Amino acid sequence: MYNNNNNLHHQPQTSHTSISRSSDYSAGGSGDGEPSGAGNKWASRLLKECARAISDKDSSKIHHLLWMLNELSSPYGDCDQKLASYFLQALFCKATESGLRCFKTLTSVAEKSHSFDSARKLILKFQEVSPWTTFGHVAANGAILEALDGERKLHIIDISNTLCTQWPTLLEALATRNDDTPHLKLTVVVTANIVRSVMKEISQRMEKFARLMGVPFEFNVITGLNNIGELTKEALGVLEDEAVAVNCIGALRRVPVKERATVIRTFRSLGPKLVTVVEEEADFTSTRYEFVKCFEECLRFYTLYFEMLEECFAATSNEKLTLERECSRSIVRVLACDDDQDNNNNEGECERRERGKQWSKRLNESFSPVGFSDDVADDVKALLKRYKAGWAVAQPHQNETGLYLIWKEEPVVWVSAWKP
Amino acid sequence: MAMAIDNVFEIDFSCYSTSTTTITTADDDPACTWNDWGSPVVDWGSLSSERDEFQDLIESMMDDGTGFKLSQVDNEMSNSVSVSVSVSSDTMVADDETNGEDFKGLRLVHLLMAAAEALTGATKSLELARVILVRLKELVSPSDGTNMERLAAYFTEALQGLLEGSGGGHSKHLIANGTHHHRDKHHQSDMLAAFQLLQDMSPYVKFGHFTANQAILEAVTHDRRIHIVDYDIMEGIQWASLMQALVSRKEGPPTPHLRITALSRGNNSWRSIGSIQETGRWLVAFAASIGQPFSFHQCKLDSDETFRPSAVKLVRGEALVINCMLHSPHYSHRAPGSVASFLSGAKTLNPRLVTLVEEEVGPIGDGEFMGRFIDSLHHYSAMFDSLEAGFPMQGRARALVERVILGPRITGSLNQIYRTRKEYESGPWWEWLNSVGYKAVNMSFGNHCQAKLLLGLFNDGYRVEELANNRLVLGWNSRRLLSASIWTSPQDSGL
Repeated sequence: MYNNNNNLHHQPQTSHTSISRSSDYSAGGSGDGEPSGAGNKWASRLLKECARAISDKDSSKIHHLLWMLNELSSPYGDCDQKLASYFLQALFCKATESGLRCFKTLTSVAEKSHSFDSARKLILKFQEVSPWTTFGHVAANGAILEALDGERKLHIIDISNTLCTQWPTLLEALATRNDDTPHLKLTVVVTANIVRSVMKEISQRMEKFARLMGVPFEFNVITGLNNIGELTKEALGVLEDEAVAVNCIGALRRVPVKERATVIRTFRSLGPKLVTVVEEEADFTSTRYEFVKCFEECLRFYTLYFEMLEECFAATSNEKLTLERECSRSIVRVLACDDDQDNNNNEGECERRERGKQWSKRLNESFSPVGFSDDVADDVKALLKRYKAGWAVAQPHQNETGLYLIWKEEPVVWVSAWKP
Repeated sequence: MAMAIDNVFEIDFSCYSTSTTTITTADDDPACTWNDWGSPVVDWGSLSSERDEFQDLIESMMDDGTGFKLSQVDNEMSNSVSVSVSVSSDTMVADDETNGEDFKGLRLVHLLMAAAEALTGATKSLELARVILVRLKELVSPSDGTNMERLAAYFTEALQGLLEGSGGGHSKHLIANGTHHHRDKHHQSDMLAAFQLLQDMSPYVKFGHFTANQAILEAVTHDRRIHIVDYDIMEGIQWASLMQALVSRKEGPPTPHLRITALSRGNNSWRSIGSIQETGRWLVAFAASIGQPFSFHQCKLDSDETFRPSAVKLVRGEALVINCMLHSPHYSHRAPGSVASFLSGAKTLNPRLVTLVEEEVGPIGDGEFMGRFIDSLHHYSAMFDSLEAGFPMQGRARALVERVILGPRITGSLNQIYRTRKEYESGPWWEWLNSVGYKAVNMSFGNHCQAKLLLGLFNDGYRVEELANNRLVLGWNSRRLLSASIWTSPQDSGL
């Protein structure tokens, strides 16, 4: 059950899985008519049929459905057409066992077109129209500030690809909070190739900003890491007198599934006072050997995401298009790439998300949960008010921790805080 | 709905110098096709290049047999489609373009089939059908492109009508008057012009009329009075040529009296009684001008178009002929119930001769919608091809005929197929006549020769077959299109 902390009123949900949409995605069975509901049916139907056909190795059906999807899809059309287009790509790769090749191509293409300016514009625009990323930032920052309150030397290890958009607010808070501004060392661990190239610019800007804020600041970037599990205190430059916070945004899902336990233990070994974790609420992990189920979950999640993008951005927004394209890489990765090939992939771009509940189970092995204070909850609520209607925040069931960002009554992002 | 593309490729491209595998197989990295998406510059332009590449990929995969085997569900379909396609190619200059056109033609057919399937199949999805039709409309237009493209445009329109009809509340009205509704939109002058063109460019109208008329002439050689009950008189031109033949006949009593009773329908039909009266007036004038003794009557059908034999005035000593023209290109679709009532009612009048001209339907499997839909595609594809083969340069004329006559015809055809899709399909009318006791009348050698002569005036793709002793069938290449059969009433012992 959720308690709703926001003004958005909705019925309590019995589980994390969507109720409003699960009826659309009931597995199997051919309906003998139109199920009642909105118009976005044809794409998901065809896509799921195709996924089943691939799983059943029914080649003539596969061919027919791929062909039909190809005819009807378009990355520039409406939501249905877009989803059809990107998922078609993954299905095609799956059927032809070319997923890894496709993924690598998509990645290299994206890297080439990525520049500091475009990346910055993209993230800022996204944050302007949607709280998808800012939600986690605000909650995490709040938790960090509270946990490290009174410390003189702060060391935040930022494992994320958010181009440091989280930190200006934190720096401001540090500067204005008390007369005695602590020293902040920010070590950014970059896992995605795409982000590496822009970090130079970012480091300059961050240092400048900190100077303006009057916060003693040190900025480091760690790249070239094959595996987050290899992080050590020394590699990160963690000093004995520092209060360490590990901030993990969308990073755990990039870790190969088998290594996640190790990574969490690694975090423990860094001796942090606080670990903040932000992840998208979807489960591509527990079903990774069941193609159809995984496909359906993937479709569910990205349908939400695309619909959210559709509503938040203007119709012809280039940023929206870019964000959608970025999804195509994850979709191909999750659906069409063999997990065992992870070992060859240095970038650790696994993309298999897990739900908050699942991450909690893992994190509970080495940490214990820290609730978010009322102040932080208020901050989050205030944040959401700045956006269009449809967003809410919810606290999970008694035995679970963290906060959920709710969009159209579906949990989409999960943020949590942990202490050793 | 599997596609037997393999088979088609083998048949299609044997006549081309370029091989099927011009498609990219050298570069076997399918991921490259998605490169276009990596560009940060948004290209809002046409996406067709992406699709064709993807399409090529799928085709090339099938060519080198990387695990995609296709089952041949509809052999007949692939064969016929390829024949229709290659026929139009025969008459066109075979250049690099035709390869692409054939691909497009196949693609359109598959889309149409997918739409029809979505509309009526086991896993019905009106939403999917709608989306497919939107896509089709992007690809085709009734006024330009190849035969296949224009044909597809009309079929798309027809399916769109079905989609709207099945969703909305006007279905009965739309289906019953589908053809009529369309006709209302066309100007009188367009109708006349198109009809004239159809006659000039093809034997479709004359085949039915001439075969029936010849049989009638042979059946009434010694009669002084002839009475013809015409189910659907339309403009009445069939009778103009009969009258000319009667006036100049050498055997038997000179210039017998001809009486025609035309059935007219209530106010449902676009054909108001007034139009039938016009036809009557014209026939009377024409008869007078050539010295043919003639009288014209009307017989109203009930409001539900049932025929009451008692409504026909009979005269002693006259030779009664029942004339039933169904499904010729420019005729409306008549409800099966009405036709059945006419033909069975006519039996009680003990006619000397029954002439029946109808559309020849191909193998339609179990009579389900899809089978009949595909058959309909073949049928009209052959018709479009036949017109083009005869008059390749007269694109605008053909477009007019297609727009005014064939397009509405297609809509009416699909409406009828859709409406009767759950009913037991009774098969062709000539079979029905057989089963209710009518006796076959031999089609004379002369009649058969006449038909061949007629076809000889047009393109040599037309052919006539004698499929039974009383039945001639007009076809275009391998596709049979029109059937003309002649019968007599079971009680009538001799001619």
